[in-house]
Amino acid sequence: MKKSSIVGIIIIAVAIAMIISIYTDSSTYASFTDATKTEAEIHVVGQLNKEKTLYYDPVQNANYFAFYMKDNEGTECKVVFNGSKPQDFERSEQIVLTGKMVGKEFHATKILMKCPSKYNEDQVEIKAASVS
Amino acid sequence: MDSIQYIGESLLPGRIGQFFVVLAFGTALLSCISYFYATKYKDEQSWQKIARIAFWINLIAVVGIGSSLYYIIYNHLFEYHYAWGHSSRALPFYYIVSSFWEGQEGSFWLWMFWQSVLSVVVLFRGKNWESPVMTTVMLCQVVLASMLLGVEVFGERIGSSPFILLREALQIPIFSDPNYLAMIADGNGLNPLLQNYWMVIHPPTLFLGFASMVIPFGYAIAGLWQRKYQEWLKPALPWSLFAVMVLGAGIIMGSFWAYEALNFGGFWAWDPVENASIIPWFTLIAAVHVIIAYKNSGHSYFAATFLVLISFVLVIYASFLTRSGILGETSVHSFTDLGMFWQLIVFNLLFLAIMLYFLISRYKELPKSKKDEDIYSREFWLFIGALILVVACVQIIASTSIPVFNAVFGTKVAPPVDPIAHYNKWQAAFAVLVLILSAVAQFLKYRRTDTKLFYIRLGVSFVVAAILTAVFVYVTDVYHNFMYILLTLAAMFALVANARVLGDAVQGKWKLAGSSVAHIGFALLLLGALVAAATNKVVSINSTGAIPVQGFEETSEKAGENLFLNIDEPKQMGDYTITYVGDSVEKPNIYYKINFERRDANGKVTESFQLTPNAQVNEKMNLISSPSTHHYLTRDIYTIITSAARLSMDMFNEDEHVHEGHDPLEDYEEPSTELVSIGDTLRYRNGFVIVKAVNRNATLQNMPLEEGDLLFSLNLEVHSAKGEVYDASPKLLIKNGNTFDFGHSVDDQGLRFRFTKVVPNEGMELMIYQKPLPEKKWIVMKAIEFPYINFFWCGTIIMTVGFFMSIFRRNKELKMKEPVRKTSRPKLKGTEV
Repeated sequence: MKKSSIVGIIIIAVAIAMIISIYTDSSTYASFTDATKTEAEIHVVGQLNKEKTLYYDPVQNANYFAFYMKDNEGTECKVVFNGSKPQDFERSEQIVLTGKMVGKEFHATKILMKCPSKYNEDQVEIKAASVS
Repeated sequence: MDSIQYIGESLLPGRIGQFFVVLAFGTALLSCISYFYATKYKDEQSWQKIARIAFWINLIAVVGIGSSLYYIIYNHLFEYHYAWGHSSRALPFYYIVSSFWEGQEGSFWLWMFWQSVLSVVVLFRGKNWESPVMTTVMLCQVVLASMLLGVEVFGERIGSSPFILLREALQIPIFSDPNYLAMIADGNGLNPLLQNYWMVIHPPTLFLGFASMVIPFGYAIAGLWQRKYQEWLKPALPWSLFAVMVLGAGIIMGSFWAYEALNFGGFWAWDPVENASIIPWFTLIAAVHVIIAYKNSGHSYFAATFLVLISFVLVIYASFLTRSGILGETSVHSFTDLGMFWQLIVFNLLFLAIMLYFLISRYKELPKSKKDEDIYSREFWLFIGALILVVACVQIIASTSIPVFNAVFGTKVAPPVDPIAHYNKWQAAFAVLVLILSAVAQFLKYRRTDTKLFYIRLGVSFVVAAILTAVFVYVTDVYHNFMYILLTLAAMFALVANARVLGDAVQGKWKLAGSSVAHIGFALLLLGALVAAATNKVVSINSTGAIPVQGFEETSEKAGENLFLNIDEPKQMGDYTITYVGDSVEKPNIYYKINFERRDANGKVTESFQLTPNAQVNEKMNLISSPSTHHYLTRDIYTIITSAARLSMDMFNEDEHVHEGHDPLEDYEEPSTELVSIGDTLRYRNGFVIVKAVNRNATLQNMPLEEGDLLFSLNLEVHSAKGEVYDASPKLLIKNGNTFDFGHSVDDQGLRFRFTKVVPNEGMELMIYQKPLPEKKWIVMKAIEFPYINFFWCGTIIMTVGFFMSIFRRNKELKMKEPVRKTSRPKLKGTEV
């Protein structure tokens, strides 16, 4: 057997081990209920509850942002984010949080949101009737 | 629809454009087929003639598509969906260029355009290779053109045309009005994040890189197809180097853009879109190394061919990832699906099938070397290095493709919680191996090396590298982490070893200079990335903020990273005293001026500069901020606005400022009316007012008093909270039984007084108007320090130069009729033509 073949086999073995480990590194999309059961950081997908107020007062504390989110099972939970309010947050359609439960609050370390951004939304803005 | 005669539409450019799209598709197909037969029947010149004519018409058509689309965007013809969706009237000229390729259609066009340009080179310089290579290239051109067709075949829409009209793209009631166009004021505009000069140049470079990868692929297929197994490698090598150089430059430009314009605070985030472009780059770099190994030793032919082929297939896979919408919520900046999901899959499978067909059908004929590689030979380690690159690639593909696996198997696996840590963990290890190999291989010769000499040289370089590493990790403060030290050592080793080769090159062996320069660049790039990524720190830590972040302090998570700044109130941030001093508006951006000052022990200012991070507020209430960076030689200070007062005011009070005419009192709040006597003290928001006296003998300027007129003036003393004192004397005139009053303003305090009535025995009626307190301007900002990031940029440039030198060398080799070392050419099994 050639040396390169041996090395090749070793490397393929490493690659397989690596792929398996990638999937242990990956997390799961969970609900708030799941989050209460675990200490680990997880992803929670849900929608912003737009009826409840968002709390962000930079004059008081520029690094405290709180809001209420409903996960995909419908459970609502207060979310606290250690950072400034993400731009355009009110208009978000879907939020993916990364973080964990601390008491009754979900502490998010990362917020990813999907917005119906004006750049991919087909919404024609119409000029005030200028029909002459 | 046809029954309505629309007013003001100019349909001609779109029709011309659409005609060119169809023409481009047709001629590409014709050219592809003709080249195919030209390859098959070499004696018949006519096939090649037809193919060439079709190619030239195709080129004209591609340019025609671009010109029509450009005309439409430039002239703001918003009846076209593409112009409406990607541009607006206010867009400056150079950003019109970037809006051109903001959409998928534009970027497909860019790809086609570059492919045509590169094909011209093949046409003129390809000689016998022209027909077989162009068959593949034109096949790719056919597929790309089909992406722009936008026609329906059997109920399935093929491609998405950039020339589709707005009223065809959207179903909204206003299109029942023949004059709808007059109601569309402006286009949707270009995404503010893309309004950056890097966005003008980054996409064309990246797509030139992608497009140029089809040429080595074409050569490889041609070689297998025509059974010219050896010959294709030679012309394919400079092309591969070119693709690697351009794609590498394009990727780094994207990283520049991310650093300068995006707010994620870094130059590389392992975003799926970034990963998609780096995957084929890795495999092609591996390919280049294996080709060189094969050329010099006759080993690893299959690996070389496979890597060249898979690189282009991975380019198509990258475009599937970014364009099909499959990445969905895992990426911030991928395209949304344009309904071409399956078309992209077909594109992928088609080229994968071509690759597999030729590799399998020709497998037995491929040149193989029977000899075992010597461990002390360069080719062996080049091969190992390439394998490591491939494994690194597999890791990136596997992690990036999680959404694809979810789609295929219906699973719901989420990507790693912290992608940067996840990728770095793996890639750092691979980087160490690759760097060490790039050093070791420089001391080895092809086939057989003198072991003694090898170990001596290796040992010397290693010792030098170790000393440099010790100094470097100490200076850059990365010695706390074993992996960082290891990576630094590997990079230094690569640096020293390649510098030695470069030293030899200066003394005459110019041939090897290209590769050593590229390796030096690569090592520097990694060093810069390592230090900047490992030691960058948020300097805007909220240490002065008296209010701890609830809950976070206990869980020992990061302290607040955003700093709150009131206007004109200096704050200490690390070594700097920073002050937010104001802002300037340059539509559509607001630039926030932040002064940075550094003082020595005596409080003397030793250094000062101003940064102006900006934010864009658009009419739909978005705040999109872009950073501003101060560059030092050894570090960068990067600042970004995360929230601001002005913006929220603009956002919410816009409509209230609409007014007609001007009333001098309109700027004030509702007045308060008081009945006062002499000696009274009245409070106002910012201090107090003392009623001093009533003067019955007051006079009015420009208005002589007549007999019987009564003029009173009320002497007031305004004391502000800061201790300033102002006098005010509103007056009251009683003339012929009518009263007139003359108010008095104290503008500094935003006050206005009116003396409106004298109520006998009770006092004087005083109306106090106050201006609403001007809301104090404030911003919330974040500042990050990136040390030694210049290594990263520097390394990039050096690496690109190195690639360029290599292309030059390999191209020169190509021109030489006879191989340089005919005698020492390896003996190869297989068909030599």
